[in-house]
Amino acid sequence: MFKRPWLGWLLAGLPLLLGGLIPLLAQALGLPIPILVFRVDTATVVFAIGAFLTLVAAGTYLGALLRERQARKTMRVISAEAERSRIRFMRRLDHEIKNPLTALQAALTNLREGQTPPERERAASNARHAVQRLSRLLTDLRKLSDLAERPVERLPVDIPQLLQEMIEAANLQPQYHRRQVSLTIARVPRRLPAVTGDRDLLGLAIYNLIENALKFTSSEDTVEVRALEDGRAIIVEVADTGPGIAADDLRGIFEELYRGTNARGIEGSGLGLALARRIVELHNGEIAVRSRRDEPRGTVFTLRLPISGV
Amino acid sequence: MPHDGMTLLLADDDSTIVDSLAPFLERAGFDVLLASDGAAALEKVHSHHPNIVILDVLMPRMDGREVLRRLRQENNWTPTILLTQVGESAERALALEEGADDYLNKPFDPHELLARIRAVLRRNRPGQRSLSAAWRLQAADLVLDRRARRASIGKKVLDLTPKAFAVLEHLMTHPDEVISRERLLDAVWGWAYPAGTRTVDTRMAELRRVLDDDPARPRYIETVPGEGYRFLAEVRGEG
Repeated sequence: MFKRPWLGWLLAGLPLLLGGLIPLLAQALGLPIPILVFRVDTATVVFAIGAFLTLVAAGTYLGALLRERQARKTMRVISAEAERSRIRFMRRLDHEIKNPLTALQAALTNLREGQTPPERERAASNARHAVQRLSRLLTDLRKLSDLAERPVERLPVDIPQLLQEMIEAANLQPQYHRRQVSLTIARVPRRLPAVTGDRDLLGLAIYNLIENALKFTSSEDTVEVRALEDGRAIIVEVADTGPGIAADDLRGIFEELYRGTNARGIEGSGLGLALARRIVELHNGEIAVRSRRDEPRGTVFTLRLPISGV
Repeated sequence: MPHDGMTLLLADDDSTIVDSLAPFLERAGFDVLLASDGAAALEKVHSHHPNIVILDVLMPRMDGREVLRRLRQENNWTPTILLTQVGESAERALALEEGADDYLNKPFDPHELLARIRAVLRRNRPGQRSLSAAWRLQAADLVLDRRARRASIGKKVLDLTPKAFAVLEHLMTHPDEVISRERLLDAVWGWAYPAGTRTVDTRMAELRRVLDDDPARPRYIETVPGEGYRFLAEVRGEG
């Protein structure tokens, strides 16, 4: 079958064209055709040309129809996939909202029915906590939508300094106060060059990776951040000796609101890695993960940030 | 700080928000007037002359933005706080153009609203355009041209990144007020995140370097340990 349907129709119409033209030419050149003698009148010529044009037009039209049908089919496949992903997102969002709402409802009931001041104080604190969870989710959703619209800064960013800052910021969180995060920066043969990009956004992506590493490991585990270059890009790795991520989860881990088996019962908006991926993509970079659940177990997230950046 | 005798107009179409906020504001000493849409809010400003107006942006009949625009067109400079839905910078720029004295993103802590109300009332100079609606701000020899997004000291134009400019702008429109790092993040970056407070400090260091402002003996920006930053110098607004 032809890739372009009109070609087929055109080829099909070709004999008619030749059949019309050859006798005409023969007549014009005054060459009698010995086997059969034709008399070509104007009507026949008009008819032949008309038939030919009809065939060509029909062929072109049919070709266009076929192409359109093919395009519609492709569109349907794409929009079905978009629709599936939208439904998946809505289901996950529904789940993420329902949990804190349920907690809030329970806390409010306890607040109303609580007998002693400590009981009521605890209920109020639980309600506040649920509200904070919902606010965090909303903030992260907004960050995601902002990323699609807001301009990305293009300034030189000192990655080692940013890594140091983000580790310090993670350590400032009360729950990670005593956690050690080691930082290794390649310095030989030269200091790492700056990456052109948006310092705040890159900081957010890196922070999310560091926070994740701390969140999914225990205080006995090691978390390591390292940076080196390969001439074209700076490579940042955030590695931990935690329980590792199941192979099934690795595929979905960068999707919005995806929750792997490890993440059950652990708080978070479920958008941290999706945000990190978007930010890295905005800098023409790549993000990847590898993980092992057998000894030596652990997880390594890798960012590749081109030195030319955005 | 009691607000006895002060009238506050709260305009929001969401009854659960109004039902919870009104008693809270009354406890703080305000006489609270309510409006559930923009047109009613405008009427009540005309009939009751409140001391301060809290306007939700998304309301039926007339949105909060339109109410504010009309008030300012009438040369009515009643202090107004806009309750916005999104923290986009575009939204904030609009708030400035329309002459809001401050804005607060939903969801917010009622205490935060009260703190903003107090700050706006303190800054307010009756009958005059507020600093947040002024296009040109001046503090000693530092001039901020908000339309051109340019800052200068004397004749020297300062080389500031857009973020650092926005930080300076926020501080100068809220002089003598302690601004927490979280609030700066929310106002300038549009969203807060745990590591963001470090981000603010980095921009502040940049800003101070360019302003040649010594943190130990500041002329413009003072660090309030454990709380945030405060713009020290007196600010005048024009245009």
